[in-house]
Amino acid sequence: MSLTAIGAAIAAFTGIGAGIGISLATAKATDAVARQPEADGKIMRLLILGCALAEATAIYGFVVAIMIILFS
Amino acid sequence: MLSISLINILFTVINILILLFFVKKFLFGKIDEIIKKRQEEVDEATVAADKATAEARAIKKEYEKKIELADEEKEQILSDIKKLGYEEYERIVMDARKTGDKIVKEARQNARAEAEKERELHADELKDMVIDAAAKIAATKHSSEDDSLLYDKFINEARANNG
Amino acid sequence: MKEMLNELLMADKTLIHVPFGNGFFDIYKSVVVSWIVLAILIVMIVALTSNLKVHNISKRQAAVESAVLWIRGVVGELLGEEAIGYAPYIVTVLIFIAFSNMIGLIGLVPPTMDLNVTLALSLMSIVLVELAGIIKKGPKKWLKSFTEPMAVITFMNVLELFIRPLSLCMRLFGNILGATVIMELIKHVVPIILPAALSIYFDIFDGCIQAYVFCFLTSLYIKEAVE
Repeated sequence: MSLTAIGAAIAAFTGIGAGIGISLATAKATDAVARQPEADGKIMRLLILGCALAEATAIYGFVVAIMIILFS
Repeated sequence: MLSISLINILFTVINILILLFFVKKFLFGKIDEIIKKRQEEVDEATVAADKATAEARAIKKEYEKKIELADEEKEQILSDIKKLGYEEYERIVMDARKTGDKIVKEARQNARAEAEKERELHADELKDMVIDAAAKIAATKHSSEDDSLLYDKFINEARANNG
Repeated sequence: MKEMLNELLMADKTLIHVPFGNGFFDIYKSVVVSWIVLAILIVMIVALTSNLKVHNISKRQAAVESAVLWIRGVVGELLGEEAIGYAPYIVTVLIFIAFSNMIGLIGLVPPTMDLNVTLALSLMSIVLVELAGIIKKGPKKWLKSFTEPMAVITFMNVLELFIRPLSLCMRLFGNILGATVIMELIKHVVPIILPAALSIYFDIFDGCIQAYVFCFLTSLYIKEAVE
């Protein structure tokens, strides 16, 4: 049981990458909107796309963690 | 949790296709139809408005032309009337002149006839006087002094008569 | 903890058991819930689009018209001019996923929490993407497009064919699963007030964002395929 808990915790570390990725994307998007406020629709779309892609890694880690807990 | 069943995937696909049918047929189809109808109506109205404007412009032009014609006609009529009036005036004046001439002529003729008559009257008187004088002379024996006196008297008498 | 997860995730998904076919024809709970979603959506669509008039429109019709035009504008912007014909499909998927994610509000389990539903959606998406490419380019050019920009990358391009739907499927599935699990955990810890507030984020906001992301990626792939 304790080992599965550690495994799940390690799988949950994928959240770090997703957090860094999303924060970088948001920072750049804020920059871009500050520079070109008229393009905020396009920037918003790209930001959502980037966030979704970056978030996917965290989701994969989460699914793996749940699977480790359930199928150990 | 991760079990996969083909029949359920198939059901989901069918579900999505049914929903797609409804979205396409009802949501988009009906709204599009309404919007298209409205667009058509707007187009028709625009065309009708254009037509009406063109018609109105044509009618305006026609009226302008008519008004121009009427102006000309007015001028024509005015000039005609003026001409007519001049003619009338001429005629009246001519008539008046003619009448005046005639009256003058008549008056002159009358005057002449009057003068003639008077002269005849005088001549008659003169004749009578001459005859009278001649008779007086013939009736009395007299001298040449008497004669000349008589003549003088006669001439004076005639002058007095003549005025 | 594990019991709760077991109860939530490992429960038997079969709702309608078909006696023959050795369980092959069993209908899962997620499909039944998606039928309910479908029924709600169809009733809404038919009710909203009934009695439409050209003039003297009611407030309802004005709202429906502007909503339809708006959603079509959003999707059309994503798809681009060339692929505008695929807008109805994208809109269908959008409203289906959005309503499926939000069905948790009335106490049902969202159908998108089942892998079969998201797998079906992503399979349809990838089939549509490739079909769009074939229709636009013709089969020969479509096959040739795998070797672009160079022949070495062909393997990666073919691999992408499987990665894309898997990524779409797992993203949606994982997001909804994660949201539901976190909601269950929070309900376990604080049974009142807090779950109601968080359900606004997880059920409505996250659900709509995930639906938008799914459609966004699908339309991006379609746009790429028809270029």
